[in-house]
Amino acid sequence: MKNVLQWSPPEGLQGAELTYTVQYFIYGQKKWLNKSECRNISRTCCDLSVETSDYEHQYYAKVKAIWETNCSKWAETGRFYPFLETQIGPPEVALSTDEKSISIVLTAPEKWKRNPEESSISMQQIYSNLKYNVSVYNAKSNKTWSQCVTNRTLVLSWLEPDTLYCVRVESFVPGPPRLARPSEKRCVRTRKDQTSALK
Amino acid sequence: QEFQFGPCRVEGITLQELWDAFWAIKDIVQAKDNITSVRLLRKEILQNVSDAESCYLIHALLKFYLNTIFKNYHDKAADFRVRKSFSTLANNFVVLLSKLQPSQENKRFSGHDSARRRFLLFQRAFKQLDIEAAQTKALGEVDILLTWMEKFYHL
Amino acid sequence: DGVAVLPPPYNLSVQSTNMKHLLTWSPVSVPGEIIHYFVEYQGEYESLYMSHVWIPSSWCSPAKGPECDITDDITATVPYNLRVRATQGSETSAWSTLKHPFNRNSTILTPPVMEITKDGFHLVIKLEDLGPQFEFLVAYWRREPGAKEHVKVVRSRGIPVHLETMQPGAAYCVKVRTFVKAIGRHSPFSQAECVKVQGETLPL
Repeated sequence: MKNVLQWSPPEGLQGAELTYTVQYFIYGQKKWLNKSECRNISRTCCDLSVETSDYEHQYYAKVKAIWETNCSKWAETGRFYPFLETQIGPPEVALSTDEKSISIVLTAPEKWKRNPEESSISMQQIYSNLKYNVSVYNAKSNKTWSQCVTNRTLVLSWLEPDTLYCVRVESFVPGPPRLARPSEKRCVRTRKDQTSALK
Repeated sequence: QEFQFGPCRVEGITLQELWDAFWAIKDIVQAKDNITSVRLLRKEILQNVSDAESCYLIHALLKFYLNTIFKNYHDKAADFRVRKSFSTLANNFVVLLSKLQPSQENKRFSGHDSARRRFLLFQRAFKQLDIEAAQTKALGEVDILLTWMEKFYHL
Repeated sequence: DGVAVLPPPYNLSVQSTNMKHLLTWSPVSVPGEIIHYFVEYQGEYESLYMSHVWIPSSWCSPAKGPECDITDDITATVPYNLRVRATQGSETSAWSTLKHPFNRNSTILTPPVMEITKDGFHLVIKLEDLGPQFEFLVAYWRREPGAKEHVKVVRSRGIPVHLETMQPGAAYCVKVRTFVKAIGRHSPFSQAECVKVQGETLPL
């Protein structure tokens, strides 16, 4: 739910000292509203997360370029529906291992918040049908298999000792197509087989 | 997976098929809606709908979409992708409607009356606009409708 | 519209297997001429609410040969009317309409192809990708008297999926069938396949 408006500078004005001004609009309401932090800015992006934080509303945004005394027309976005269009980040993945098993603890991604002090809202609370696709790679056998899970913990037991396993997890919400962003690959090695270690 | 609108259960609808159909035309249809100051399916219409109300409300909305919105807009939809997606949405709404049986004898129950009030809010807003503009707007709001329907789609 | 001198296609029929629907017809032949075909469809909604409306098929406007994959056009579990006409240059035949409307709930569902592998003690299954409509009901059991049969619903398609963690020395058997939610029907089960931990795939 971190919603950032981005745009490209107008063509043919490279090198010109351009500034931009952004406004946003809540679908169904009456007026375009100013975003004060994005008035006469030179960067080509504007964070509208605060203004679009009610994810059940739909929004438009528009930006115009200003150069000396000239003003461009407004360039406007299509209708943006955060609830359906926000990208769902990967969960946090914690791995712990012993000789023959790996336990995976998944923590759902958090909703964007204005400041760190604000209480966190898990995306799981917003999307009750949030699922995870866990992909496990056995470096020794060079095999990969996956598992679709809804709960937070997963224990892979009866693994091979002293073997490197890599895990990647992707959040998934049924519905409109969304860009998937899998987690970083996390690898862990199961411990050596104690019995063979004692010989 | 099936829809459970209170007492009304509906199997055989793949919600993903509806999402895919709408998403293919979302930008086209919503770009045609210039009256951005009006939202037909306002939050208060679909918020906190009880199970008892849900069957009546979805029945009324789907019937309106089939009889009033899809029906007249179809001819004007020149873009082939729009016509194809309409056909998918409309034919699945036909299936849904045929399987939704809000019990007639329970009309006295609160569910029916409050659902009726919600639907009338939607219909009144629709009628305040020019018919074509209203149809275009209602079509552009199918994502709001599907988002609400998804809350009643269970494993 | 061109004058209907060209004879219309005939013998229209639909063959449907695993939710893949193929409309075929007997071709129109005019020596030395190239014939194209246009396919159109209407669902129950169109035939009920606006019977004059026909929608051009996604992949066959035009088609070169006497068949058309209408899978992407049949997107609801309702009866669909289908029609075809031939064109040759500016000449156009009359429409030929499928005698009985086609409903995808009549599709033939075949047992899915599966590949059972092991990764150490882990039983892994890979299922063919039949498209988004399909779920797979995987039944597996430990091969011993009185063993309980477990069932797992798998929606991942075309990628290996973890099924079970096996006990050393045990043999496990697996069979699978498809389920298509949109039409509420199953396929028959596939043949069962068994594997033994630290052994080869066993004949039944």
